[in-house]
Amino acid sequence: MWIEIAHFSALLALILTGMQVFTSLYGVHQNSPAWIRVGRQSAIMVALLLTISSFGLINSFLLHDFSVLYVAKHASLDLPYFYLATAMWGGHEGSLLLWAWFLSVYIAVAAWRHWKTHAGSIPYVLAILGCVLIGFLLLVLFLSTPFERLIPPPMDGRDLNPLLQDPGMVFHPPFLYMGYVGFAIPYAFAMAALITGQAGEEWVLATRRWTLFSWSMLTTGIVFGAYWAYYELGWGGYWAWDPVENASFMPWLTATAFLHSVMVQERRKMFKAWNVFLITATFALSILGTFLVRSGVLSSVHAFAADPGRGVYILAFMTVLLLFSFGLLTLKSDQLETDIRLENPLSKESAFLFNNLFLLVATLTVLLGTLYPLAVETWSDSKVSVGAPYYNTVFIPIMLGIFLMMGIGPVIAWRKATWLQLKRDLTLPTILGLVAGVLAWLLGIHNLYGAVTASMIAFVLTSHLLDTRRGVVARMKSPGAASAMRALAQLLGRNKRRYGGFVVHFGILVMAAGFIGSGLFQEEKNLFMTPSDTVKVGKWTITLQSIEKVRKYNWNALQANMVATHDQGFSVELKPQKRVYDKSSQPTTEAAIHTTLWEDIYVVLGDEVKKDTWSIRVYRNPLVVWVWSGAGIMALGVIFSLMQGRVLKRKSQEA
Amino acid sequence: MNKKGQKRLFLILTVLVVGGALISLVFSSFTGALVYFYTPTEILQQTDSLSGKKVRIGGMVQEGTLVKESGTLKIRFMVTDGEKLFPVQYDGMLPDLFREGQGVIVEGTWQPDQDFIASSILAKHSEDYMPVEMSEEGIAKAKKSILKSMQ
Repeated sequence: MWIEIAHFSALLALILTGMQVFTSLYGVHQNSPAWIRVGRQSAIMVALLLTISSFGLINSFLLHDFSVLYVAKHASLDLPYFYLATAMWGGHEGSLLLWAWFLSVYIAVAAWRHWKTHAGSIPYVLAILGCVLIGFLLLVLFLSTPFERLIPPPMDGRDLNPLLQDPGMVFHPPFLYMGYVGFAIPYAFAMAALITGQAGEEWVLATRRWTLFSWSMLTTGIVFGAYWAYYELGWGGYWAWDPVENASFMPWLTATAFLHSVMVQERRKMFKAWNVFLITATFALSILGTFLVRSGVLSSVHAFAADPGRGVYILAFMTVLLLFSFGLLTLKSDQLETDIRLENPLSKESAFLFNNLFLLVATLTVLLGTLYPLAVETWSDSKVSVGAPYYNTVFIPIMLGIFLMMGIGPVIAWRKATWLQLKRDLTLPTILGLVAGVLAWLLGIHNLYGAVTASMIAFVLTSHLLDTRRGVVARMKSPGAASAMRALAQLLGRNKRRYGGFVVHFGILVMAAGFIGSGLFQEEKNLFMTPSDTVKVGKWTITLQSIEKVRKYNWNALQANMVATHDQGFSVELKPQKRVYDKSSQPTTEAAIHTTLWEDIYVVLGDEVKKDTWSIRVYRNPLVVWVWSGAGIMALGVIFSLMQGRVLKRKSQEA
Repeated sequence: MNKKGQKRLFLILTVLVVGGALISLVFSSFTGALVYFYTPTEILQQTDSLSGKKVRIGGMVQEGTLVKESGTLKIRFMVTDGEKLFPVQYDGMLPDLFREGQGVIVEGTWQPDQDFIASSILAKHSEDYMPVEMSEEGIAKAKKSILKSMQ
């Protein structure tokens, strides 16, 4: 019953989306607002229908309706309720529906928010986004549908993949998708701007908050994925440069470049074509990311069973999208010309230029490593893979280059900076940076990259703090801001966007410290233990007390009861497990992790090698929690930035 | 050339130099990081030309060939692509999904005329994992698809 409602809602949504595209364009053609209004109402109806459709599918899960093939494949009677509702995105069919649902909601919100302010662009935005949605709905309805019945229904389902029964996995896909889908809005506005010939700054200003929001969702989604990999896969790390991780990282890189380079367009009216290119690339890479994961062309943790029909469809979809976007960009490129030229190497514009250069090379690096194996496989008989060392060698220098720009960017002046200013603003950061590097070396970071990163972190941090301090001092001279605290509050309140950005940068620095700590200084011990054996890792002594069998929800497990005692006397329990879920014959590893500010102790239980002797793996991962906290700080920074009003009224006064 | 033009030229040159350096770093690390993938049949055909190279070999773990050495993590097993059998040794913790009759990828340095010693083992994580109660047909199909994806 529910699944039919879901199915018919989705079908109706497809028809109405067609109407949305047609009426919007016809309205422009006839110059009749009434038709365009029909387009808007259709968009809102589509969002409602797809909401019904998604809840219909979720409800089929909650009712254990195993006569629905998708439910039978991804749930069981014993699956806890929490995972039952979220099993909707446990397979590719449901997650494509989730994608379409998010997109339809975004379209409705965009139609509502920008209806009055961007009346000229709205019909095209509705038409372009409608086409994207149709592309996804066709896939959901005809090529990989979650609405299929299974007759006769089985007594019980096959259960959700045990690896996906984890909180990290519950939040990872929706956040990632909220990010991916969100880039559709600025993309559509950019295309609409090209079509209407209003390719000025309007679209950039209109979509600033969409971009920021999507970027923060994507960031959070990626970090949730890393967190899940860390907790669930039991290999002690969180990022393996797996093709699917890369697929989500590429749009992040181009979106980050976009976030920075649009500022140049806002202030200096430059980089216009470049920004259209960046947002198109971001959206195309988002779609590529969705498809790479969902098509099974990549072999990885996430890869799903391959289906050639789906692969061809996806390829066609990407081709149309790229031909349309870049065709339009080429045709209308004369609109994007500007007579303002970037001529001074010592300016904020040029700092942004280098920021973009680094981020673009980073994207190319990942793209090459991800797609080259696919290309080799397609055009020859060999199969090839690209290892993590490649990414690490290339990425650390790029990251350091970005940090250098991050330290200089906020303090350097637009148009033309002078050496004198730079000397005033950057002398102290440079000195402190060098001191931090030397200190890091003396304190035991005997690694060139580690020490240089520490140095860069200090450099960027000081330059940001000094800049804020200068702002406070300047404001204290004006009337009405006597105390430093009030001046600071005023400064932050009036430049939420700028200082939100500072907070995001701070989050990145915290994260970078985490990367260096966990990447360069991980300790790993593999050993055999019998009960009462101990092992020493860092400042911890870990004792294996016993091995017992445990049963909970839908799994049985072997559990090692261990106690880790710190040199300072306190101790914690660690209970790593090897679980076997009822519906699966494969064991899954549940690592036991004790997190402190400075390090994680991470224990994995292996096989019994002979009676009462167990293979155990222990990791000491320094600063891992800094990676997660850094992401949290970044999210806070974005939220602060988003609170800035939508009109750039300060533009004149600040310039 | 006037001063503005000079500055612009300087900027363009800097972008080219920095960009070029980065791109060359990308490509120089890239070629070294490629690991080729072979089936047992393929690798046995070109044993000499691959000597000393890092390779990945993929296939299924042949049923009944897995031998564990008691008291250690050392194991031996045969990888098959349906035609040739290929012996592998490994010492270390195994991935959860490793077992007889399942797809596997072993990575290591190729030394002709020696047993292949794997430095790491990757078992395919499959979303369409087959639970015990699945039909014979389903399991057969899954196995076929695993084999197909390995080829």
